[in-house]
Amino acid sequence: MMRAGWLAVAACLLVAAPAWAHKPSDAHLRLDAEGDALTGRLDVAVRDLDGAIGLDGDGNGEITWGELSASAPRIAEYVAQRLAIRADGTPCTERLGSGALTELSDGAYWALPVSARCTHEPRSIEIAYSLLFDIDSMHRGLAHVAGQTVIVRDARPVRVALDDATSFWSFVKEGVWHIWMGTDHILFLLCLILPAVFQRRVQRWSAADSLRDVCREVFEIVTAFTLAHSITLVVSAVGLVTLPSRFVETAIALSVVAAALNNLLRTVDARWAVAFALGLLHGFGFSSVLIDLGLPSRELIGALLGFNLGVELGQAAIVVALLPVLFWIRRTMAYQALLWAGSGAVAIIAMLWSFERFAA
Amino acid sequence: MLALGAVGLAGALTAAAFVAPERVAAAAATYVPSRPEVVVATVPTRDPDEVAARRSLAAAPERVELAVELARDDVERYRVLSDPRYLGRAQATLARWWKLAEPPPDVLFLRATIEQAVHEFAEARADLDRLVRLRPEDAQAQLTRAVVATVTGDYAAARQSCRAIAGLVSAIVVATCEAPLDAIAGKADEAYARLATLVSATRGGDPGVRGWALTELAELAYMRGDSDAAAAHLRAGLALDGEDAYARNLLADVLMATGRSAEASSLLAGREPIDSHLVRRAIAEHEVHGRDEARLVAAMRERIAAAAERGDRVHLREEARFALAVELDPARALRIARDNWGMQKELADARLLAEAAVAAGDREAAAPVIAWARATGVRDAMLDRSLARLEVTR
Repeated sequence: MMRAGWLAVAACLLVAAPAWAHKPSDAHLRLDAEGDALTGRLDVAVRDLDGAIGLDGDGNGEITWGELSASAPRIAEYVAQRLAIRADGTPCTERLGSGALTELSDGAYWALPVSARCTHEPRSIEIAYSLLFDIDSMHRGLAHVAGQTVIVRDARPVRVALDDATSFWSFVKEGVWHIWMGTDHILFLLCLILPAVFQRRVQRWSAADSLRDVCREVFEIVTAFTLAHSITLVVSAVGLVTLPSRFVETAIALSVVAAALNNLLRTVDARWAVAFALGLLHGFGFSSVLIDLGLPSRELIGALLGFNLGVELGQAAIVVALLPVLFWIRRTMAYQALLWAGSGAVAIIAMLWSFERFAA
Repeated sequence: MLALGAVGLAGALTAAAFVAPERVAAAAATYVPSRPEVVVATVPTRDPDEVAARRSLAAAPERVELAVELARDDVERYRVLSDPRYLGRAQATLARWWKLAEPPPDVLFLRATIEQAVHEFAEARADLDRLVRLRPEDAQAQLTRAVVATVTGDYAAARQSCRAIAGLVSAIVVATCEAPLDAIAGKADEAYARLATLVSATRGGDPGVRGWALTELAELAYMRGDSDAAAAHLRAGLALDGEDAYARNLLADVLMATGRSAEASSLLAGREPIDSHLVRRAIAEHEVHGRDEARLVAAMRERIAAAAERGDRVHLREEARFALAVELDPARALRIARDNWGMQKELADARLLAEAAVAAGDREAAAPVIAWARATGVRDAMLDRSLARLEVTR
């Protein structure tokens, strides 16, 4: 039977959540494609290379630059044997440049320039990477290719499509979906648009005469809203400004209250200004959704553009569907009922939301 | 209006383009040291015995006893240095047997140890179940099984393993094994009294066992709301083994919970390479607006990003705490705490989920913990406070 010491020690090790003093072993392969050529760099931790081919000549636990640079040909040979790139199934000719050092958060890495010439402009590339797995099963190769990161977990080749546009469209879809599902954004927009078919003339209100004027006003409102929430979406998604979500959600609910009350009290005529000022708040709400989706750091701009485009398409669809109906019924009692009772109901509902979200 | 909108959007996106690169892991600059004697990396000094053993294994790769010995050394190095590379090395050394359904028992134990260390609890449990069927008197296997079963909330199995070793190990080991189970069943007071008596009766003895018992005693005291006693037990444990990361973390937690964040911060100072120390020190410094706050918060963000990049889901507890206390993002903290609860169900995980649910104002999200607390009958000062704030009646 084992000693009690090893026994308890084993138990303590188990009880503790993993207390990792270091990052696990990662290597980074970065490749950019241009025409039939791929260029980039492979960064491998110096201590991993020591484990693989032995760099510490005198075995004293310290790897000097002299020891490392003397081993450069052996490192190149090791990498050449274990890294192969193919373009759509056809092997590319690789070349390794001369290595240097780079400092990552967990120490020194050997940075080896890698280039490959393929027979044609690849639509997809396969990377066969088999460094280090035989001595460290938890090693990972992180291939950063054309804005994507693929995690290589074992010696099996991984494929990276270079013309992958799906992620952009998936963000567009998420944007549309979010506007349609996000009742607060829809109600806010509706409250601003409802009175557009009714215009103030001198001191009194009456139905608008021309659809063109109505469209222009709605267009102004929507544009102002878009501009405002785009700004805050971007500044918050990139982390320039972060607000507590409880505050944002409560403020969004209050913005709906404000928009609805404005219909009842007619305080501000320039509703595009309301749309802009309060739209700033909605952008913060959008960004938390986007972050929840797992914002890709490498395609941040594409994701933001896609999501924003989706939001615009979603709201444009609502406006296009609604405006003709509103214009059609603008002189009827039904419209008056919708405007007054609708705005009143929205104000009450949104007020309740505000309390609920604030108290949360 | 349209033109203005377009200009604004373009401006905002340009701003994003300038800010975004910080979040994108671009290739870092390279350099070449000026002199050959510059030390670029330190590695463990070469152990001639190990080199010889690896050479023998390479010559006769089927020699399982040799592989087991090498892998066991690496697991031990992992324990001392907290460096996950040694886990990967141990696994690679056992590669020949790793995927077998029925590897030799020694390999089975090491495989389970490595699996639980990377939070593959189901796999670890299956291996340990098989192992204790093969070797019911293997105390180490039974203890490990008890711990893994406790983490995943299978208290009956844990109890069974603690009892199975009753005649094989000292009474204090059995009591320490059973204490958390009693505590979770709502009998923290009795468990505390029993273990305290045993600890004071056994002067001397194995320091490893004593340290473990003291840590468990501290857990129980903390559950009962007696932070001073908890801190005293932990200090006694750390006096035996200053490198006990678990005890140090728990002491920091106790100090922070009682408003002594500055003390917690100095307790962890200089130990930031270990993730679980780093996250606590970042929170403590954040709370006291300490000098190291900005640096530690940045370091923690970097670790989280690096783990996400390689697809690791091992540090959810740390991530959730950080989101809650430093990033002030309860929604994110709640999401992570829920994922974490799906993987492990220790008291600390329950506290975390309940606390995140309170912060996010989402009572519904705490439902699994509420159900767990009702089913087990657990009483814990911290958890009870969160549940009271969620207006849970028990």
